[in-house]
Amino acid sequence: MAGSNALLEIKGLHAGIDGNQILKGIDLEIGPGEIHAIMGRNGSGKTTTANVIMGHPEFEVEKGEVILDGEDLLEMEAWERARAGVFLSFQYPQAVPGLQVGNFLRKSVSSIRGEEAAKGSIFREDLSKAMESLDVPRSFLARYVNDGFSGGEKKRFEILQLMLLKPKLAVLDETDSGLDIDGIRTVSEGINAAIRDSDSGALIITHYSRILEHINPDKVHVLMDGIIVSSGGPELATKLEEQGYEWLQQE
Amino acid sequence: MDAASEYRSLGEPDRSSHLWRYTPWRRVHPTGKIDEIPLFDGPSLKLMSIESEGTPEGVRLVKGASIPSGLPKNDELTSNFLIAASTESQYTLEVDSGFSSENPVILEIDVGENPSVLHLGIEVESRVNIEIVTRIVGASDWFGFMRSGLIGNGSIVNDIVINLANRGTVLRSDLISVGRDAHLRAGTISSGSEKTKADLRFRMGERGGNLRVLGSVMSAEKMHLDHHIEIQHDAPETFSRLSWHSACGGESRTIGTGMLRVAEGSRGADAAQIFHNLLLSPNAEADSIPELEVMENEVVGCGHGTANGPIDEDQLFYLESRGYDSSEAKRALIAAFLNSTLSEMGSETMHNWLVGMLTEELEGLYQKT
Repeated sequence: MAGSNALLEIKGLHAGIDGNQILKGIDLEIGPGEIHAIMGRNGSGKTTTANVIMGHPEFEVEKGEVILDGEDLLEMEAWERARAGVFLSFQYPQAVPGLQVGNFLRKSVSSIRGEEAAKGSIFREDLSKAMESLDVPRSFLARYVNDGFSGGEKKRFEILQLMLLKPKLAVLDETDSGLDIDGIRTVSEGINAAIRDSDSGALIITHYSRILEHINPDKVHVLMDGIIVSSGGPELATKLEEQGYEWLQQE
Repeated sequence: MDAASEYRSLGEPDRSSHLWRYTPWRRVHPTGKIDEIPLFDGPSLKLMSIESEGTPEGVRLVKGASIPSGLPKNDELTSNFLIAASTESQYTLEVDSGFSSENPVILEIDVGENPSVLHLGIEVESRVNIEIVTRIVGASDWFGFMRSGLIGNGSIVNDIVINLANRGTVLRSDLISVGRDAHLRAGTISSGSEKTKADLRFRMGERGGNLRVLGSVMSAEKMHLDHHIEIQHDAPETFSRLSWHSACGGESRTIGTGMLRVAEGSRGADAAQIFHNLLLSPNAEADSIPELEVMENEVVGCGHGTANGPIDEDQLFYLESRGYDSSEAKRALIAAFLNSTLSEMGSETMHNWLVGMLTEELEGLYQKT
């Protein structure tokens, strides 16, 4: 795919936190409709990549570029990136006691997709459809955001937001962790529904190949010590699951 | 001795005492000359329902107020001063036995532009089910407000006091007793007045009393809001929770002091108090001191705690990642912080009404933080 057609282009990205360099030159391109996966050991820089794309203020970018649909994300605040079409499904979503799920969703949709999409019947229809497909009960709407949610409920709620916000780029940080087999299947269906056959793209960060069996990514990348050391098709994920990361280190 | 003589015999309270540590009496006295007991007019009162004109049958406001027996131990200085000052302004809110309505009742107190004082008796008889909102509005320099009364056996009462006074000082004293198997949710919403000194006391003298005291307080500019809450367990199988949330910005100061007393013989008492403070500016200050006096060994639990901090950066990032701009995210987190106690104060009808009423008020205050 030509670089100019890429939905997301990351070039030579160096970034870190508190003066410690974690990403040491990431290069990555995701095209419209593509789903890529990043795998790697703990501490390899997977979550840092996700946070840097979303614009977490604690992370410092030393050099490199992150371009979404021709727009320079590194020049934007986190909320501007969200409105430009970036969505991050958090590994550990924050609880906000006192903020009701229903109000939060409506405000998020209004901010990102515009007031029209957050209006009465249009919003209600979108919401009902997404909740039904994720097996999320109506009573969810009256609860406070992630407050008292189980691990599985938090992850389903992140995917519910993904489906409603319809981003250009979804970054899913270990969305499969803490989910049982049925949960992984339901969430995977949600991700496929949001990304496949659309102009959006997704970057899935995971430790396990199980979620990738349901999603079937176009490309799998392996991150080691802040650099992508190998890229391939879905078979790479299977090989990693079977053989671990040792062979890559030796290569 | 009458109340005025009692008051004058007490002298100025010692600032080393728990109650007067942060807000000396002289600062909240209407003239600052502490020997004086000015006789102010009463504020204008209006009793109505949220959803309809008029007052439901079985609820009424009558002239005169008394101090029944069985109330919590009072602070003699504040009580005697307010009783003496309010001799011309005493009313009682009466609710008949068995009264039940899902339609909340509002008592609007308009303090106008002149100093005023009110002693409001509360007589809720047995097996009542009611939500009462007392809303203080106006722009006077000083308002003294005393409430004393009983929640009858088996009654379920949500009692919310909202201070929306535009300016001046509010001196408030509550002495409320919770009857056998009665449930009282006592909420305070305070985002008005430049200075507030509130001394709220509750007593559970009968078995099975259940009490929740909830506070949502927001301060800005140079406001000084001091709330002292005392809960007295004097009977077995009584339950209480105090949850107090203060958000302070500008150069304001909020104070929350709690005293939880469990008397000997209150077996099976279950009590806890927690103060949360959200600091919105580096010059804002929040002090919380929860204290316990537990004289009974066989209790279910007695705990206290306090937590202070600025807006959580991770929560902020989470909302920003969902398209809230920085200012919207901060507003939403402040509102959520206050809402987590506000939503416990009453029914869904009541909560929706409160949120609708307070949205504009909070927005105005947010601009000043």
